[in-house]
Amino acid sequence: MSSIDTSVPVSTGGSKVLAWLVVLAALALLVATPFLPNYYVRVVNGLLIYILLGIGLNIVVGYAGLLDLGFVAFYAVGAYTYALLASPQLDLHLPFLLIVVIAAGLGLMAGILLGIPVLKLRGDYLAIVTLGFGEIIRIIVNNVDWLTGGPKGIARLDKASVAGIELARPVEIYWLLLVCVVVIGTLVWRMERSILGKAWAAIREDQDAARGIGINTTVAKLTAFATSAMIGSIAGVIFAASQRFVSPESFALQESVLIVLMIVVGGIGNILGVIVGAAILILMPEVLREFAEWRVLFLGLLMIVLIILRPGGMIPRTFGPDKLIRRLFSR
Amino acid sequence: MTLTFQNLRKHYGSNVAIDDVSTSFAPGLIHGIIGPNGAGKSTLINMTAGSYTVSSGAIHLDGSNLCGLQKFEVANQGVARTYQNIRLFDQMTVLENLEVCYYPQAVGQAWKEILWPPFATEREARRRAACMELLSFFNLQGYAEAEAGSLPYGRQRMLEIARALVTNPRVLLLDEPAAGLNHHETAELTSRLAALKSPERVMIIVEHDMDLVMSLCDRIVVMHHGKLLFEGTPAEVQASTDVQTAYLGTANDIDDIKAAAEDRRAQLGIRARRRS
Amino acid sequence: MLGTIIQQVFNALTIGSIYALIALGYTMVYGVLRMINFAHGEMFMLGAYAAFVILTLLIGDIGNAGVVILALVFFAAVIVVGLIGVGVERLAYKPLRHSNRLAPMLSSLGVSLSLVTAVQIVAGPQPIGFPSFFPSTRFDVLGGTVTSVQIGILIAALVLMVALYTLVNRSRAGIIVRAVSESRPTAQLLGINVNLAISLVFFAGPVLGAAGGILYASYYGIMSPTMGAVIGLKAFTAAILGGIGSIPGAMLGAFILAFVEVAGTALLPALTGGLLGTEYRDVLAFAILILVLLVRPAGILGEPVSEESMVYKREF
Repeated sequence: MSSIDTSVPVSTGGSKVLAWLVVLAALALLVATPFLPNYYVRVVNGLLIYILLGIGLNIVVGYAGLLDLGFVAFYAVGAYTYALLASPQLDLHLPFLLIVVIAAGLGLMAGILLGIPVLKLRGDYLAIVTLGFGEIIRIIVNNVDWLTGGPKGIARLDKASVAGIELARPVEIYWLLLVCVVVIGTLVWRMERSILGKAWAAIREDQDAARGIGINTTVAKLTAFATSAMIGSIAGVIFAASQRFVSPESFALQESVLIVLMIVVGGIGNILGVIVGAAILILMPEVLREFAEWRVLFLGLLMIVLIILRPGGMIPRTFGPDKLIRRLFSR
Repeated sequence: MTLTFQNLRKHYGSNVAIDDVSTSFAPGLIHGIIGPNGAGKSTLINMTAGSYTVSSGAIHLDGSNLCGLQKFEVANQGVARTYQNIRLFDQMTVLENLEVCYYPQAVGQAWKEILWPPFATEREARRRAACMELLSFFNLQGYAEAEAGSLPYGRQRMLEIARALVTNPRVLLLDEPAAGLNHHETAELTSRLAALKSPERVMIIVEHDMDLVMSLCDRIVVMHHGKLLFEGTPAEVQASTDVQTAYLGTANDIDDIKAAAEDRRAQLGIRARRRS
Repeated sequence: MLGTIIQQVFNALTIGSIYALIALGYTMVYGVLRMINFAHGEMFMLGAYAAFVILTLLIGDIGNAGVVILALVFFAAVIVVGLIGVGVERLAYKPLRHSNRLAPMLSSLGVSLSLVTAVQIVAGPQPIGFPSFFPSTRFDVLGGTVTSVQIGILIAALVLMVALYTLVNRSRAGIIVRAVSESRPTAQLLGINVNLAISLVFFAGPVLGAAGGILYASYYGIMSPTMGAVIGLKAFTAAILGGIGSIPGAMLGAFILAFVEVAGTALLPALTGGLLGTEYRDVLAFAILILVLLVRPAGILGEPVSEESMVYKREF
């Protein structure tokens, strides 16, 4: 680490111990999960889905600096793709992996279709238009009864299976999700570090200067939008396959907001931050389950306090996985 | 490689900012654009860089028209610029500020870089090496990993010029590069800019610091009220009575400026000799 | 036919004036802080609850109060909510004034969540009946039915909006607020008390929002802890439609939105042969918003921002 790199706190013994503790706790949770009762496995699965969603949305919000409040629409696209192609609803029963590919493609298209008209808009306007888009999708899904079952949703979805192995029990879904999170997380992290990720950062920092160095900002932003939509859609497929039931309730505006919050509380523009943010916001309500409605109040207040204490999130933007590893093995 | 303005006009409603400017900028020379505030100097830069649309007329680079292109397309034609108020990517590191300039060249293979790490490593190493070389030229190598926004003001100016040079542009537009710099930094800037002269490059500097302009530029365009008032060598500009009355003011000022320019030339001469 | 049209126009005017009252809060906060205050819908909800609580405390038997008492309750409730607004700004937004732009917005989401849950814990999550603040009589206007409640709401909203407009444009406080909206750094350099301007906005916005809440609850005769969410979203859409930051824009946007919604509800099923029902009203509202922004990216009355005229730096 260069001596003038002031962006990361000075490496001390204390923070190294802390880093090890957190990493070991996370690894222990991952190893222990398959042996836990189903209830806890479902909680971890929920966490992993939200991490996946967070990784996807972080591309747009954290890397490219565009506030997207309608992300849940892409999640819905994926979930309903699975629900329609693998259930008695249309009496279609396509294989799981094929649906993942179809859903990824549909997500990509939805991202581009939404992106083309809205990417000219500035920050706050973009937020409200994406929010509106999310609501439009939800309302349509809620009302096209003949196709989506309306508010009742679609039930009796097929069990997922990959290469003849059935993935239906929580533990099986857990492995599927873990693989997805690791693979997609790694790819997205490589994107962040690539020339594309640097262009996104430049757009976030100063969109006009980014144009001045020859970046076609529209195309770069569309790429961010489309990639993120694709990941959201894939998460939707897995969500539908694990619940084996979808209804519009799961795709309310609050979900989009929750994902944005995860990113900001954890550390905007940083994959580690997304994981930490998801852990706080998804696990906290579970831990506080017995306090019923008080826990929501607590969560709201906690959000305010966390943001005031660390407006940039728990983990600095520059403290990525590479820095974490270096910290763990530093002397 | 010549940059040509042909009957260039820019107006905002009835307010004329640039009025029928025609001139050309040859490569291998450093061109200065001077003039009082509001003369249209920055507007010329902004129009050339594609930041402002052109009301009428044309801007040709090497025969191809730059008008009507989007800003990023103009940049990809080899026109690079700096800004009057520094516009760096503050939260990116100094090195990243330069690396990102390779985006237009590298984006075609971005997916290969993402999916195939060895390819990325090799490409990145090559890009980094080139950027580090540029940083060394501007004496910024020690800041490579620092956040650009955390640099002292003078270093930020240098970094912005370095960023403009990454892709080896055919046209380099510098919008008041010496604004806010102290004497020492201005001297450093002057010598670096002098070293950037290349037969492959058109350099245009908009600047208020007359010492710098007179000592550095080979040709000077004087703007006044949106019109091209005069163009010629520094000596010709200093001798022109038109320029004197319209812009430079009294005879005393001109003598001061001449003296300062002599001084500066002498200084630069000495420094150049020491270095070699 | 004419009767129906008259009736629908009055429906639109009623709902539009309530949207306008709330939209003004969004637009004023955006003006001084460039922040979307997601908790503003909750001020609307708190207005109804505050009025209900004060009314119950003052006179046990709700619905039998005289006009003077009702007016006093109305003002007491909106002032209480105004003070809550100022307090929320001090606690949850002020510490974030110099951090990135996303932080205060998300803090406001936390505030929104906390306020809704707090009200749910105290008053219960179920909707509660709300007494009408206006004596209810029906008029016949050219064949359409118009209620006195609607007229009361229209008059109250108009009075409040005219009062705000006069305050902003004529009073010293208004000048301070406008100066800070124009440019916070410059206002600061000129020695204008920026904190005062922000507090004023965070008082006036919730006051209007709360007034809207009371009017809304007495119009529909019901209130619930979550009533602020949907209406808040609509009002925010209206503010953007009109051009956020612009006070006349917020009012214009609110009425346009209301008319589009009412017309959509009435005409959508007929126009599409029953294919699209009234449930697509909200889709229509957002579709109009998106269309308007495509043509005028800064909203109807918003000032367009040119790229080079301002140093456009990081949004967050």
